[in-house]
Amino acid sequence: MDYVLMGIGAVFGGPELFSLAGIGIPAAPAMLFLGLLTGIAVGATPGLAGPMAMAVSLPILISIFGVRPDALLPVFGFLIGIMKGATVGGAVPAVLFNIPGTPDAFMTTLDGYPMTRRGMPRRALKIAHLSSVTGDTLSDIALFVCAPFLAVLVERFLDLPEKTALILLSLTFIAAVMGSSVGKGLIAIGLGMLAAMVATGQDFHPRLTLGIEALGQGFPMVSAVLGILILGEIFWTLDDHWRGRVSRDTAQTADAGPDGLRKGDVKRILPHVLRSSLIGTVIGALPGVGSTLAATLGYTWGRKVHGRRKTPEQADFGEGAPEGIAATEAANSAVSGANLIPVLSLGIPGNAAAVFLILAADSIGGFNPGPGVFTFSHPQINPELVVAFGIFTLMALGNLLNWTIGGAFMRGMGIMSRVPIRYLLPVVLLVTLTAIYVQDPRLGALWTAFGFGVLGYLFRCLRIPHLPFVIAFILAGSLENAARQAFSATGGDPFFLFSSWVSTAFMLMAIATVFLAGRAPGEGRG
Amino acid sequence: MPRLTADLVLGLAALALALAALLLWLPADTGSGIVERIRGQYRIGDAMGPAVAFGILILAGLVLAIEAWLKPVSGQRPSGLGRAQLGFLLLLFVIFLISLLAMRWTGPALASLLTEGGYRSLRASLPWKYLGYVTGGTILVGSLIALAERRPSVRAFVIGFLAALLLAMFYDLPFKDFLLPPNGDV
Repeated sequence: MDYVLMGIGAVFGGPELFSLAGIGIPAAPAMLFLGLLTGIAVGATPGLAGPMAMAVSLPILISIFGVRPDALLPVFGFLIGIMKGATVGGAVPAVLFNIPGTPDAFMTTLDGYPMTRRGMPRRALKIAHLSSVTGDTLSDIALFVCAPFLAVLVERFLDLPEKTALILLSLTFIAAVMGSSVGKGLIAIGLGMLAAMVATGQDFHPRLTLGIEALGQGFPMVSAVLGILILGEIFWTLDDHWRGRVSRDTAQTADAGPDGLRKGDVKRILPHVLRSSLIGTVIGALPGVGSTLAATLGYTWGRKVHGRRKTPEQADFGEGAPEGIAATEAANSAVSGANLIPVLSLGIPGNAAAVFLILAADSIGGFNPGPGVFTFSHPQINPELVVAFGIFTLMALGNLLNWTIGGAFMRGMGIMSRVPIRYLLPVVLLVTLTAIYVQDPRLGALWTAFGFGVLGYLFRCLRIPHLPFVIAFILAGSLENAARQAFSATGGDPFFLFSSWVSTAFMLMAIATVFLAGRAPGEGRG
Repeated sequence: MPRLTADLVLGLAALALALAALLLWLPADTGSGIVERIRGQYRIGDAMGPAVAFGILILAGLVLAIEAWLKPVSGQRPSGLGRAQLGFLLLLFVIFLISLLAMRWTGPALASLLTEGGYRSLRASLPWKYLGYVTGGTILVGSLIALAERRPSVRAFVIGFLAALLLAMFYDLPFKDFLLPPNGDV
């Protein structure tokens, strides 16, 4: 309880951003607020996504707050705000213009746009907002309860061989559940590990550099991660425009008229919201399983239930049913909070937003996401645990802001959906390159990012999932260190990964994941 | 009858390349073996990590080849690389190259023509510190918009110029410790 209070105190008693009428405004909540507004605007803009905004804002945040421990919460506040805002804002173009800004918003278009065409855009947006924020809030509660519990279990029962086996299991799981086939997921994992291993290691000889001097320092994480995630996506979308695969028709908008939530709407959507929140939370807690799958499952399950229980005057799913919007939005939003469970408890990022939280922690220092964070030391204070509870406080505060002002701001962001993506993406590319340069002021860093961007584009062409590459790139160092230490600690036992029943079980599960999750190439899961 | 699909080719290529890298590249480009003995104790060498990564790639190639062989894709747009993708990448590379060259050399070239001191002494002053960034940024954004629209237009380059100028001011005015490209290189 002391740590909870210290976390809350760190958020509200941290450095001041500015003073208003003589009252100091603490930086962390203020940055959360700004991040939330940014996130809603970004989410409402088709073609932009939360991770893009996080990538661009990270160097600016670090420049403002520096790399001191008290910079952690304001920086996390802004990033968490973006994450939460983008989750809510994603429904805007889907509902108003039939444009799924993100893949997980596709299902929202199925019922949201028909409602708009029938003159109920405000009602559709309010239902989307209500469902999204409820899903996000319930998911955050699951995070607050599960992450410390899981971390304590990991620290208590897992030694070095088990931790090594757990990272391997996580990587194979991510390979198995993301993308169009297990084989392609494994290719992404293998290449990500290889890229991370260039010029690293303990020996004097920088490994795998082919004698190229420019590779002597390895690939900078910022260039590699932004290249694959952001530049690759921009190149892919520009290619779509270049080849004319994107329709440039502007979506039809209906006359809004007086509309809004109707009596009984909340009661109608509540079962769908709760069911989909549970689906999203369970799926989000598994690293690498995206919100698209959660949205699809939530919608499909909701449609089955709705088909059995609906009255004749109620619309079917796909024809403008509020329940359809609720089932989708609650499911995809519930993924975001639960996605932080593996990050905070195991140090394993499960999605792109978590990758940027790890990048921020890595850049600032003083906070290493993983089981070590939840060490309840007494009387010595564990500063990482205070930061962790500060993060939880920020997430709860973010939900509160989302509940109160998020809806109105979200409905005002319809204008963003009209910005042509073909103008926006090149500008985002320039912003991203500038963000990379201000962190690593060498034109070589831009070429590295371009190279990884091309790799990201090729991945998308070949339907190789790109996120496993990034996760493997981030985890490769931890995996190698854990393996080195475990090998030494077991006295050079070549079978150290099978030295206990827990690590043996993890390894068997990793092997089983690869061979049991096989499916036909082409059955992509997003 | 299974066909030679792009996925099958990708799987076989991953298998062959990873095997070749494991046997030929890895031993030649790492300072220590997979496991080595130092002062009587065994420890994992620098070759272990890459060997595991290549091992995963070999497994990936096998799994993908088997998946593609046993369950050929039907009904979906096949994945793969063709002339269209390679042509797009070539265009992208040319645009990026010209933009970065303009970014790197506009300031120094103009400084050597118009001044005696050279660019380095001017790179912290206006308008010199924006010259390369705005020129390169305008070319990059304008050309990419032209690429997406499949026709060059004045409008695209005006958007590029305005975006680059605003970004230069956005990064430079409030944040004195940020260096815009190429000022960290010259």
